[in-house]
Amino acid sequence: MTVPDPIVAEGLVRRFGTIEAVAGVDLVVRPGEIFGFLGPNGAGKSTTVRMLTTLLRPTEGTARVAGFDVVAEADQVRRSIGVALQDAAIDPLMTGRELLRLQAVLHGIDRAQANERGDALLETVGLTGAADRRVGTYSGGMRRRLDLAMSLIHEPQVLFLDEPTTGLDPNSRFALWDEVRKLNRESGTTVFLTTQYMEEADELAGRIAIIDGGKIVAEGSPAQLKAKVGEPTLQVTVGPNHDTLPAEQVLMAFGDPVPAEPGSVAVRLAGGAAQIASVVRALDEAKVEVEGIELHMPSLDDVFQQATGRRLEGAEGAGSADSEVTAVQ
Amino acid sequence: MSVAVAQYSGLSRRAIINTFRQPRYFIPSLLFPLMFMALSSAAFQRTTDLPGFPATDSFLQFLVSTTIIQGALFSSIAAGSAMATDIESGFFERLIASPVARTSIVAGRVMGSLVFGFLQSWLYFGVAFAFGMRPEGGFFGMLGVATVAAVFSAGVGSIASSFAIRTGSSEAVQGAFPLLFSLMFLSSGFFPRTLMHGWFQDAAGINPLSHMIEGLRYQIIAGFNLGELAVSLAIAAGFFAFGVSMALLALRRRLTST
Repeated sequence: MTVPDPIVAEGLVRRFGTIEAVAGVDLVVRPGEIFGFLGPNGAGKSTTVRMLTTLLRPTEGTARVAGFDVVAEADQVRRSIGVALQDAAIDPLMTGRELLRLQAVLHGIDRAQANERGDALLETVGLTGAADRRVGTYSGGMRRRLDLAMSLIHEPQVLFLDEPTTGLDPNSRFALWDEVRKLNRESGTTVFLTTQYMEEADELAGRIAIIDGGKIVAEGSPAQLKAKVGEPTLQVTVGPNHDTLPAEQVLMAFGDPVPAEPGSVAVRLAGGAAQIASVVRALDEAKVEVEGIELHMPSLDDVFQQATGRRLEGAEGAGSADSEVTAVQ
Repeated sequence: MSVAVAQYSGLSRRAIINTFRQPRYFIPSLLFPLMFMALSSAAFQRTTDLPGFPATDSFLQFLVSTTIIQGALFSSIAAGSAMATDIESGFFERLIASPVARTSIVAGRVMGSLVFGFLQSWLYFGVAFAFGMRPEGGFFGMLGVATVAAVFSAGVGSIASSFAIRTGSSEAVQGAFPLLFSLMFLSSGFFPRTLMHGWFQDAAGINPLSHMIEGLRYQIIAGFNLGELAVSLAIAAGFFAFGVSMALLALRRRLTST
């Protein structure tokens, strides 16, 4: 028997009055994958998640999650999914352990099993020591980890994580990524992850859909998407008071020129990143004084820019896939 | 234990725990009626000698049932505010994203109000007892009063919750408070109807709170009487039925409007 795709959406549309927040989304998420849903604020990510998790009815289109229709079989969908929404709405007056038990009760799990699973999950997310403290005293990262544990208490087939690391410091973000990877690897849970951070999508997701203006503008694995953008760019800086012509003459042999910052020359490396050693040698032979060299690999931000003509908001804050070679002379 | 019962009790437990963990909310709502009881008992003691005033040992004895209902009003508004806070914080959304029975979202709060209303009544009785109140109806009279107060608490808590579900705003719930408080002052809770006159007497006469409190007061100043208690309980049950219907209707509207 073949396992149905855990998420299948066809022509999902959601309007709020005259505003079309989601304008016809088609999606297929395969069993056991981490699917990244990347887009800027207001792109329609959360609205799509809210429709897939039965919190919002689609205006048009259909969606099946864990094999059930999100409108006609909403209750079965809710039994099959774990949901960690934006901002980790967790009752600050209760302790972590109490909240896990409550979540278990809401999913119809008996007390003995709830205690056992709750303790195991607290251990998994590293909150055993803080389990009996009120959530109001938790840090942002601890709340997100508890939120993740709560969404897993009933061992869901599909886990929805809506911007799980927004507002977290880098350490908490990396720790949460580890949890998600481990969960996916060990239990095979399908994960649908929305994020505005391209690095997060790049690190975690096997496949990515980029959404903008309520529509999916690109879809594929991170490597496929980046390959579509093209070759890496090499920028050589000779300094603002130096003539860029000698450097330009050397670099022309390695690829087509692209716009660069003042005092710099850039080309798209036709032979890929492997040519960087040859470029350095050629510059040295031509006695070009170089202040710095930067290799820019195509990033998801470039994918986004190619698809929409704009840069992705928050891209800088989450780091980038650029690599840099500096001071060769 | 069935899944639905476990869900009801889990959410009720949370409502009760949350109430007790926010002393800055429940202590004022406990203390204000007590202060009012203390001040009124001292100020209006002589009024019990007025011709037409029901036979009673003290104004405190006359007033304690009113204090209990006043406390129920205060704490029930707090229950509604807590529901609104759940909506504002997103916790409500977490609940509806789970397969929990929709009715238990309301029932949890209702049960929380019911239990708190019951316990609060005994606290008021305890304080009044310390200051000389001796209920003519004995333990069963007090039990009857506490039971009616609990049902009334659950009813008003449901009305407050329905405002919360409809508006999603704790300010809007607080805004309903003066309305309920006016209903309290336009009743015979603080003074017997026999000594009122004019429009005030008419208003108190048609106010269901007057009849509910008079039935409760009877247990304290005259003695345990099932008939009087049944009238009070029926009125509290009316508030309960109305409140729960309003809350469930508001919940259904909220869920289908999304």
